[in-house]
Amino acid sequence: MRLALPLLTLLAAPALAATDGERIQVTGEVIDTWCYFSGVMGGPEAVVGSAHHTCALWCSAGGIPVALLAPDGTVYMVLKMAGDDQTAGGDTSLRIAAHTIEADGIVYRRDGLNYIIVEEILADQDIINATHEDFGVTPGFAIPESAAQ
Amino acid sequence: MIRFALIAALVAAPAVAQDFSEGSEAREWGLFAEQKARFTATVSDPLCELAGDCAADCGGGTRQVVLIREADDVMLFPMKNAQTSFNGAVADLAPFCGQTVEVDGLVLDDPEIGAVNVYLVQRIRPDGGEWQRANTWTDNWAEKNPGREGPGPWFRRDPRVLERIEEEGYLGLGEEVDKAFIADWF
Repeated sequence: MRLALPLLTLLAAPALAATDGERIQVTGEVIDTWCYFSGVMGGPEAVVGSAHHTCALWCSAGGIPVALLAPDGTVYMVLKMAGDDQTAGGDTSLRIAAHTIEADGIVYRRDGLNYIIVEEILADQDIINATHEDFGVTPGFAIPESAAQ
Repeated sequence: MIRFALIAALVAAPAVAQDFSEGSEAREWGLFAEQKARFTATVSDPLCELAGDCAADCGGGTRQVVLIREADDVMLFPMKNAQTSFNGAVADLAPFCGQTVEVDGLVLDDPEIGAVNVYLVQRIRPDGGEWQRANTWTDNWAEKNPGREGPGPWFRRDPRVLERIEEEGYLGLGEEVDKAFIADWF
């Protein structure tokens, strides 16, 4: 009984504690989450970096959420970028689509997803992931034929 | 002792994902981890839910929004609408901020890459209302971008996208890299 009571307390505990924030500094690429999660354009390695830059611009401007992809594969859904809460198509995230940035912010976790409020971009390394060398561009029509003329 | 064992087993049991596909009329997209999902939820502001940073009307379409599912209090991230044109779900869902709606669409479950409780919303039914397609984004874009009419999809004509490509190139690595790549690509 002495053991059962703490277990019952654990079961009855509100979920609020899971949303306490944690300050972190993380380096990651600003990715287009839909293409990365859905596989609609191919595997995750093909929808990051230079190969996917143009599509990342489209999706960011289109209001699809952006995230930071850390080197260990952790994805942090961005709810503010450098203090800017306009993450549904706003300019701040658009300007750094596919860039790798060093960010300082607060992380929250809920129901299997990581969320980050990026308070400050400590450094912008620009696009350093030259994936076009392996994958061309994704999707293949990202560059219009008129660009070749 | 038996009661203790039952409680311990309950604690140790893995979370079994509920099936929300019943009654769904969602169109399949052929995505690797998609499952049809129709459920009732409250439209909310994730910054408000997680950090207590609440904006009026969930930001009025500028912030991302989330769905708090009524059946299990799970927070889902609706990151895509019903259109196949590189656009999100905020324009369709934000007008229902704070309201209970029924949604129908596809949930993605691919924990290996972090895709958990990620949602593509195809239609929305406000409480007591009719179903409506989650496809208003391109009409909203057209209203916000007068004079940008023309052939081709919105993303070929969007001034902000064109400005970024002008500045960084299609690959984001500058004009010279683009030039060499394009000569080989076509």
